[in-house]
Amino acid sequence: MIACLSIPGFELKAALRKQPSLSLRPAALAPEAGGEALIGPVTAAAEAVGVVPRMRLGEALATCPQLVLVDPDPAAAEQAWEEIVRSLEDAGFAVESAALGIAYFETRGVERLYGGLEPALQRALTAVGQQWDARLGAAGRRFAALAAASVAKPGQLLVVRDEEVGQFLAPLPLTLLPLERQRYDELESLGVRRLGQLAGLPGGAVAERLGTDGRRAWGLARGGASGRVRGRRPPSELVESLEFPEAIGNELTLRRALGALVETALSRPERRDRFVRKVALSARLVGGGSWRRSLTLREPSAEADRIRIALAPRLAELPAPVLELRIELVELTNPAGRQLELLAAGAEDRSRLSEGLRQVRASTGSGSVCTVVEVAPWSRIPETRALFVPRDD
Amino acid sequence: MVADSRDARALRTAGRLNEPRPARVESNFDGTPWQVNHQPVAVLREEWRVLDRWWTEAPVVRRYFEVVLETGENTVVFHDGGGGGWFTQRGA
Repeated sequence: MIACLSIPGFELKAALRKQPSLSLRPAALAPEAGGEALIGPVTAAAEAVGVVPRMRLGEALATCPQLVLVDPDPAAAEQAWEEIVRSLEDAGFAVESAALGIAYFETRGVERLYGGLEPALQRALTAVGQQWDARLGAAGRRFAALAAASVAKPGQLLVVRDEEVGQFLAPLPLTLLPLERQRYDELESLGVRRLGQLAGLPGGAVAERLGTDGRRAWGLARGGASGRVRGRRPPSELVESLEFPEAIGNELTLRRALGALVETALSRPERRDRFVRKVALSARLVGGGSWRRSLTLREPSAEADRIRIALAPRLAELPAPVLELRIELVELTNPAGRQLELLAAGAEDRSRLSEGLRQVRASTGSGSVCTVVEVAPWSRIPETRALFVPRDD
Repeated sequence: MVADSRDARALRTAGRLNEPRPARVESNFDGTPWQVNHQPVAVLREEWRVLDRWWTEAPVVRRYFEVVLETGENTVVFHDGGGGGWFTQRGA
């Protein structure tokens, strides 16, 4: 069985750990600095008065003038999530972290250890702790497990047997599917509102009308592919931080501090003979927020100058003066070789593919990875049918 | 903030797929090709015309040929009726 752990609104819950009294009041995660003015997850009190996640900030404040905006704290969220994943790993589960607040793991290997499926899942919930209101779903397939976790109540575990998958998914709303807003609207205008209705349509017709995304959603509505869960590689714990006596906004000072941090982290004995593949830079900001950026290097390196040059431009993105700067050597290569892995067996593994593309982009420069976008597929002039557009996301 | 799609960088970086490439074509009296990029044509498989954008200042007038060369390569060439010249094109 594949189990899915879901903690809805994880970033907000992580940010509210410092001010727990707000969790009972209408509160929402503030939009990120420089991003679109859309609020993040909201508390139950805010939802009760009509504020929903991804609402425009102005609309949310007009709906609920008492709404408290909580500054995002990505470093605290990453740290809290890491603690949760490690507690699960300590309990014997090989965890694949899909996003903050969503993780998958196989139960087969630990069922005998805990005396069956449900005791094993119960152990996983205990490992996560009660304060997060975690939900757990288990099914033979990934999407069905995610759907089960999405409808489970806080602290509940929901197991969907293979023979019940179709019946279980049929009444669930389409919003569980990873589709764009306009696709939902299009399906709703056709009278399709439930997964069961979508699953009942012919696959070819869905693909013709909604394209590849629609076809994929149709596959998920029928239970999805039985993809394997890949337990993550344990991240390294090489962290160095520097606390400033007063908030620093001067980029030159921050660059010098970064240089010192890189040198210190690389000289740690645990790093010896290994090269750095992925590195993260985070900061605690004046006023209580935090900031974090991670970077995959063009090729694994142990040269302080290269790492410093790669990270330094990120300092210009800091939204506020810094109280503490921190560097993490997130991924290190084995001492034996520096060969990068592009794709593991099973090309459907999207996260590995996107990681591979990030590395290609890092080595060949911005604009080297493109996606083909159909703009006028009906055109009789071949070169006007599609464009290739650089992807820098 | 949503990026402006008319941004100069966006226009510079997006490219067209299947752009025509100039080709060296020798044609018969009736306009059909007998040699493409110095390779003799073995079979003329299909021929069609595209007349489009006639309402603009740059109308598209093309005469397409799908040919098999003696090397076994299957290729599509067209003669541009507007600007003149021969081109090969994928995805036609």
